[in-house]
Amino acid sequence: MKVALFVTCLADHYFAEAAADAVRLLRHLGCEVTFPDAQTCCGQPAYNAGMSREAVRMADHTMEVFADCEAVVLPSGSCATMVKKFYPRLMEEADRAVQAAALADRTFELAEFIMRRLGVTRLGDGLAGRRVALHQGCHALRELRLETEPAVLLEGAGAEVVPWEAAEECCGFGGLFSVKMTDVSAALADRKLDSLPRVDWVVSGDGGCILQLDGRGRARGDGVEFVHLATALWRGVDGWAGEAMAERDSGGRHGRSNGQAGRRLE
Amino acid sequence: MSGSATRDRPESRGDLGGARARILARVTRATATRGKLPHPGRLETPPAPDPATPPAPTTTFVKRFTSQCGEVATPDPDRSPRDWLTSFINGLGDEVNAIAIGADVPARLQPHPPDMPPADAGTAGGESPGQSRHAPAVAGPRNSPQPLHHAVPPEHAGVGISLAWGAVAETGSLILPSTGTRAVQLLPPVHIIWVPAGRVFARLEDALLELRAELPAGVGLHSGPSKSADIGQTVVTGVHGPGRCIAVLES
Amino acid sequence: MSVRISEYATRSREAIRDRPEVRTAVTGATVAFDEKRRRAYGEVDADSWRRWAEGVKNHLLTHLDDYLAEAEAQLEANGADVHWARDADEARQIVLALAARHSARSVVKGKSMLTEEVELNPALERAGIEVYETDLGEYILQLLDEPPSHIVGPAIHKTLEQVQHLFADRLETDPGGDPDELARAARDVLRDAFINADMGITGGNFLVAETGTVALIENEGNIRLTTSLPRVHVALVGIEKLLPRMSDLAGFLQLTARAATGQPIGCFVSLVQGPASAPGDDGPEEVHVVLVDNGRTDVLLHEHAWEALRCVRCGACLNTCPVYRQTGGHAYGWVYSGPIGSVLDPGLLGLHEAMPLPFASSLCGACFDACPVRIPIPELLLSWREEAQQKGLTPWKERAALAGLATAATRPPLYRAAARIGTRLGATRAARKLPMLSDWSNDRDLPRPSPHTFRQLWRQGIK
Repeated sequence: MKVALFVTCLADHYFAEAAADAVRLLRHLGCEVTFPDAQTCCGQPAYNAGMSREAVRMADHTMEVFADCEAVVLPSGSCATMVKKFYPRLMEEADRAVQAAALADRTFELAEFIMRRLGVTRLGDGLAGRRVALHQGCHALRELRLETEPAVLLEGAGAEVVPWEAAEECCGFGGLFSVKMTDVSAALADRKLDSLPRVDWVVSGDGGCILQLDGRGRARGDGVEFVHLATALWRGVDGWAGEAMAERDSGGRHGRSNGQAGRRLE
Repeated sequence: MSGSATRDRPESRGDLGGARARILARVTRATATRGKLPHPGRLETPPAPDPATPPAPTTTFVKRFTSQCGEVATPDPDRSPRDWLTSFINGLGDEVNAIAIGADVPARLQPHPPDMPPADAGTAGGESPGQSRHAPAVAGPRNSPQPLHHAVPPEHAGVGISLAWGAVAETGSLILPSTGTRAVQLLPPVHIIWVPAGRVFARLEDALLELRAELPAGVGLHSGPSKSADIGQTVVTGVHGPGRCIAVLES
Repeated sequence: MSVRISEYATRSREAIRDRPEVRTAVTGATVAFDEKRRRAYGEVDADSWRRWAEGVKNHLLTHLDDYLAEAEAQLEANGADVHWARDADEARQIVLALAARHSARSVVKGKSMLTEEVELNPALERAGIEVYETDLGEYILQLLDEPPSHIVGPAIHKTLEQVQHLFADRLETDPGGDPDELARAARDVLRDAFINADMGITGGNFLVAETGTVALIENEGNIRLTTSLPRVHVALVGIEKLLPRMSDLAGFLQLTARAATGQPIGCFVSLVQGPASAPGDDGPEEVHVVLVDNGRTDVLLHEHAWEALRCVRCGACLNTCPVYRQTGGHAYGWVYSGPIGSVLDPGLLGLHEAMPLPFASSLCGACFDACPVRIPIPELLLSWREEAQQKGLTPWKERAALAGLATAATRPPLYRAAARIGTRLGATRAARKLPMLSDWSNDRDLPRPSPHTFRQLWRQGIK
């Protein structure tokens, strides 16, 4: 199957290796991956701020860029939700609901694509012995209803997904919210971090959540290691082979392990 | 019903400066701009876990009522309700020194008055004066048409005795009509409620629909004792209403 | 309660930084409530129940004029008096006139957000009437002269130690008294108040049009007493609180209790039809129902916000809201706080008065999943945000930045260059001086960009 990668702004700049891992994973699963070069921002920042005219302009651009793609995959639950759930709503008023619905049907978050579209549940056993906490982005959880998919894939690859009291609570990012209501936003991150069990990694499919939790965690000196879901899943396939893995960018691994992490990357 | 809403009713007692007409006019304007949406009909509550043999309403009632800290007592079938209740109340302890009885509780469901101990207690009562330690004084309701006993008003009684109109299995509730005596249902720390045989409804809706035909001025649904978690999130009972709520299922 | 919504940013900051015990108490209580709600939803087909309840309320709100007339006619047939109040002032006048007519000197009250909304207590007190809030949580707050911080648990922001201290001071209880002792002390004071009160005042959870039934849900029994012992009962009911039929009430009583506290039904439900008439009924001689608008028809007339009028005031959205959990309700600055407050307050007060509440949310969507009547709170927040942008109620710099983003995003080369510069700049010390990023970096370390962008990796070839 031919798959277009919609990399998203944050993955392009902050989680580049995770996005590359998403490409590796998709190729491993037999997909031909393309990267439409004219892609930009999905428009969610404007949409969430209530600037729907601006959001429509960005949605129009994105719909044009991905118009002819068989499937569109995003390494972000939040941006995938924008295309899948919010474009149809947004474009209804702009009279392009049909096109928006067509794109929505072909668009998937990464784990969603692997399980729901490809029907794959087992990737490899590269995560054997690894204790992870899973932070689901709110859009992935409550809009895409990916209530089990990421955990199934991680566990299928051997990871132990550890119960976390605040697992389903918002990290407090919320885009504009994190800068407009900065104190409350930081308090939300604290609630997540304070209730975090001892794990090797915190895994999340959303770069925005990782920026928020890692930024707060580093400011507090927590030393928690954050890993993007795409990287975690690719490691499930590829294990730890190759020295190059440890040298990769901070996009895949945020934060520094300070010994709280039970097992370091080789 | 339609069209009557905005009709002028100048004689309306509570119409302050035309408030009624103005509010209704604005509501009508709002509803006119929006399509009229249909009523979805009845709410189907889920079937019992095993639809082949659904538990009897009484069984479900006991389970639900006790899970809300309510208590259930079953009268001794070999004794009269009066005798059984008198002994039961005596068994509650010494602090129970006075009883208040709802206006609609028939004599056969009332405990023996203090000067008339249970028939099976050995003394063919009626003669011994004064108040025995174990025979409670009995208070009648405030407006009772035929005051039976009036040792104390309900606010000073240790036990209140009421007659339920019915009970509801799915919510574990007792339905108490105001034709009883509200003060008796609410003020004494222990509330004992007779549930007539065959009056346990499976569903709340069924009970309310039957009640609708003979709706009294006030109805209380009591599902266990009074509770509060307002102090430090700790549950305490008997805050304002009764601290013990005992349903007696007549067989 | 006066409106202090515009101070949200400072008041939420103060709550988080200066009163950590509030956050601990509120988080503990709401997490527990939310757990119970989830369990109680799990015991039934909550999805169908919620859709049904949404349908009933939508039907009601699109036929509200008819049902209001029917409810009024039924109440009057039951012997109750019906009053109409367009705003808070009229509601107060009606109650004050009733109090004067009955020479009321002492009033007991059941918990009612609507009476907070119309600021009834101060008006009664100015008229020389003694007012007793009889819900235990409300009573605590009345002693402290604080407004409720939660729709269902008004004092959840108070710790046991605070109540011990308060009661030791005011009711002469033991300073180390346990909740049982403290509750008993309050009960003793309030028991006298119930017996001596001239008038009982409550809100109303529902008003059934078919039968003229005001339904009230509670756990303590104080509302049963308030509607039973005094000679006069006055219920203030928002016009959106109606239900068409008695059979609807059966579902709503159960769903509301499950959503609010995870119970199958409230410990006590009072169904009030009218004054006592049967022999043996020791209930009130007069029952008055005040139907209050106070902004509700504005909400009903609003293109989007009308859906918020389905609200049954269960507090489930507050309990599940990660934002509410950090600050409690007082930071929101008015009667209705949390997610529902953020969509209802702009409608009731006007958007300008309610800024910045539509922005006090990360749009996580937990509130919608919890809501028993499926109010699309995240969507309503977005539509209020849109209205705020159109009316220029947001900072112009923010609007300019987002307009700039949209312009760049439709020109890929420009976008790529701007994004790369912005990302790199955002990781330098200079970022701490930039608007917005400086706010970010107050509480968090700056994000670290990847050494190469994905585009660069893609061009180099991914192996």
